[in-house]
Amino acid sequence: MVAVFIFVLRLLMLLVLLSFFGWAIFTMWRDLKFQTQSLVAAKIPYITILRENDTAENKLTFTQPELHIGRDAACEVQLSDDTVSNQHARLWFRNKQWWIEDLLSTNGTFLNDERLETPTILISGDEIRAGKVLLFIEIQSQT
Amino acid sequence: MNQILQDNRSPRNVIQARLLVLSVIFIFLGAVILTFATAVRLHSWQAPLRWQHWIGFCAWLVGYGTLFVQANKRLPDRDPYLLPIFSLLNGLGLLMIYRLDPAYGFRQTIWMSIAIVGMLIALRVPNLLATLRRYKYVWLISGILLTLLTFIVGVYPGGEGPALWLNLGSFYLQPSEVLKFLLVVFLSAYLADSFPVRLNLLQLLTPTLVLIGFAIMTLVAQRDLGTASLFILLYTVVIYLASGKRRILLISFILVVIALIAGYLIFDVIQLRVEAWLNPWLDSRGRSYQIVQSLIAIANGGILGRGLGLGSPGVVPVTNSDFIFPAILEEFGVAGGLLLIGVFAILTVRGFTIALHAPNQYQRFLAAGLSAYFAGQSILIMGGTIRLLPLTGVTLPFISYGGTSLVVSLGAGLLLLLISNQAEDHHAPIERTTPYLLVSGVVLAGFSAIALLVAYWGFIRSDALLARVDNPRRAISDRYVYRGNILDRNNTSLTENVGEAGEMIRVLNYPALSSVIGYSNPNYGQAGIEFKLDGTLRGITNNSALKIALTRLLYGQDPAGFDLRLSLDLPLQQASDKLLADYTGAIVVMNAASGEILAMSTSPTFDANQLDERWSAWMQDESAPLLNRATQALYPPGTTTGGVLLARFLSQYTPSATIPPYDWNTDPDSADFCALDPGEDNTWGELVSSGCIKALATLNRSSTLSNTLELYTESGLFKPQELPLEVSQAVQVQDIDSYTSLYSGEAGILVSPVQVAVAASTLSNNGRVVTPQIAMAYKNPENDWSLIDIGAEPPDIPDFEAGMAVDLLTHGNFPGWELSSFATHQEAKISWYVAGTPTHWLGTPVTLVIALEDGSPNDARRIGRELFLEATASLE
Repeated sequence: MVAVFIFVLRLLMLLVLLSFFGWAIFTMWRDLKFQTQSLVAAKIPYITILRENDTAENKLTFTQPELHIGRDAACEVQLSDDTVSNQHARLWFRNKQWWIEDLLSTNGTFLNDERLETPTILISGDEIRAGKVLLFIEIQSQT
Repeated sequence: MNQILQDNRSPRNVIQARLLVLSVIFIFLGAVILTFATAVRLHSWQAPLRWQHWIGFCAWLVGYGTLFVQANKRLPDRDPYLLPIFSLLNGLGLLMIYRLDPAYGFRQTIWMSIAIVGMLIALRVPNLLATLRRYKYVWLISGILLTLLTFIVGVYPGGEGPALWLNLGSFYLQPSEVLKFLLVVFLSAYLADSFPVRLNLLQLLTPTLVLIGFAIMTLVAQRDLGTASLFILLYTVVIYLASGKRRILLISFILVVIALIAGYLIFDVIQLRVEAWLNPWLDSRGRSYQIVQSLIAIANGGILGRGLGLGSPGVVPVTNSDFIFPAILEEFGVAGGLLLIGVFAILTVRGFTIALHAPNQYQRFLAAGLSAYFAGQSILIMGGTIRLLPLTGVTLPFISYGGTSLVVSLGAGLLLLLISNQAEDHHAPIERTTPYLLVSGVVLAGFSAIALLVAYWGFIRSDALLARVDNPRRAISDRYVYRGNILDRNNTSLTENVGEAGEMIRVLNYPALSSVIGYSNPNYGQAGIEFKLDGTLRGITNNSALKIALTRLLYGQDPAGFDLRLSLDLPLQQASDKLLADYTGAIVVMNAASGEILAMSTSPTFDANQLDERWSAWMQDESAPLLNRATQALYPPGTTTGGVLLARFLSQYTPSATIPPYDWNTDPDSADFCALDPGEDNTWGELVSSGCIKALATLNRSSTLSNTLELYTESGLFKPQELPLEVSQAVQVQDIDSYTSLYSGEAGILVSPVQVAVAASTLSNNGRVVTPQIAMAYKNPENDWSLIDIGAEPPDIPDFEAGMAVDLLTHGNFPGWELSSFATHQEAKISWYVAGTPTHWLGTPVTLVIALEDGSPNDARRIGRELFLEATASLE
């Protein structure tokens, strides 16, 4: 009789050890899942670029974290204008902000009519001029 | 108040609280089981209960409870897994140590309390990590000095051994344990301070190499080779993590191999350990005793384990420190062992995660180094005890007995807690993550290898290991479980189990039977019937598989054994022993019709009750008292086959009336030799009976030697002995030049006295060959006697006139037929006397064989006639 009682306790003991191990593994996995979810949640706000003559239909909207402006066909924002360099400017998302920098273009990049010397933060409503081409920026609000 | 409650319900605290509760339940259940362990062994509630370990349990509960509350308050962002893991491992270790030796358990409790109080104080010290960093040289050098101190005033607490400890009143401190910890602290601080300066690697490492080299030399001089190897390992890992250069690993590996080879050549200890590792089975009672016993302990645990307090891990030496892992495996099984390895793996993963998230290089190196310290030490000792690695005498962190080790482990644990408490987002930039991934990957691979090997020993190889003769658990089980008694044919007990359950000893009531009954001794193994019918006496042969499995599962013991009834007749046996006492030789008295052995004597013999005192004397005694001459001695049969030859001859011919007029005499060198003087005017029967070689040769003239040897085989003389005793098998020779050499013994045919009895019994049994039998029945689980089957009967001898032969061999008033013989082979000079009841005997038909190594045929006949009369009278 005593042996049956102790045997049940022995099984329980192993079960508790299993729960300890299982609970630790489960919470570690849950933590991992939570981390990946928070990575997904930290999505990049859409950036919309409107060229001078664009209508609401053919405006460009991007979700990737990095864009290039230039005459080159590889650029995401391709501008066929002689005053635009092949690789003219770069836009990228970092630290919850969209940034812009000039890629040493021939005719320069201007943000709200000021020539860009250093990487600068963009906000919605900004106006960019690459050579003679005007671009209007809209950034999706993060609320 | 509300604030604190809110704070306490953060996800981290929930995880930690649940894990802590689980560890409390685990340790509590363990403590309850340990309390009742003796009761389970004795199968009764009325048993002494164990209470001492509850002191340890209470101290553990209060200690870790306080630690949990304080950590909640002071380290809100700490890693939630560390503290529960420390408490689980520490609690398990404490229970195991109490279970193995309560006195050590009490000491460990005090050390644990000191360590926890130390941690509580350290939690209040501001900038502990920074202080450690600032005085790095002071710490390391004082550690080395402390270790050096053991050269002068070092002691070994257990008596003889390496003097690695410092005596602090009633406690002992092991400086090399502290030194390991200080090494990691020093290296992390030094590398973090010097790396930004970016000297080349060699310049950077030179000062550390000098200090480490000195520390390792100290350890090697102290013969603390386990710690020395751990030092090299830790040094390599920390440098590799800091530099990210793989060639560090390569160089270190080459150095370790060189050190191993050099160590192998210089130190006996290393040689011994490596040999015990590569081939433990060669010397399992000597140099590899520890490792073999460790593996048997794991095998005994099986899958679910024997239960806390129910195994026998105490038979493995130094079980509470070096060999605590097999002790845990024996009592918690492969299942518990794998989970424990899993917990260590989680600790490693958490440690390296903390390192990656550390706010600066110093803390990163420190966290990684301390994790490597836990992991490396666990793998070295766990792997050592399961034969994955050669044995190194390091402790299992948090679990093994050892105050210094526990304090240092908890100290290192505290540092990990402190490092993990830093805000997550501000971790230091990291150049390369590969070294961290590689090191933690290797560590996890090590744990996996240990897990696989544990399953191999504890499951796949379990039965083979448990069946080994050097497994002392059977003998331990015999102290608790009823072993079947051995009875004679009239149910007189020949053996007895004396003493209370737990201290039962096997006693042989009639010591002169030692050679037959044998012994079951924890030190000298088993012999005789105790050995050959161990399964029945232990209740595992002829028992239901379910019952055996259930008793093993519940009690860790075999079921109660079955009584065994022998065919021996104790009064006849005693008479036989008494008559043989002054000679060297054997007597077999057999029921000629059934083959049941009624008496079996051998002289000289030993006393199974005095094995412990006189074993070595008996082993060295040239008269070989441990030998059972009735079944193991091989003697030339000489003319003892005369009766069988006569019976065959008479079936084909009528003997001529004229007896050749030879000059019969008892001179062994004479051609007309007889074992006994046949007197004047002999008959053929008298000549054969007296063992006259030439008479037999004459009778045989019409036959061929090969026909004669065939008759020997048909009569059962060469029949393999299948008695449950140690037996020797007959030596048969085909190439024999003459009848004279056959009958004198010089031909080289050798048989045991039992085989002579089988052949002789065909005369009393009218040509039927019997199978000798000594174990007749066992008491089955229903408490009835079940007969033991001895298999099919051999065929009768063809062309055999037993009755006529018996008539010729019977003389005067003696009620039976008789044969004497004197046979020589090389040094041996054997006097035989064989007698049996006539063919139409009304009582129990009996055959009797006496073989004397140091008596004359006359002595043999005198003893034999007296015993024969006694046998026929008592068995009437």
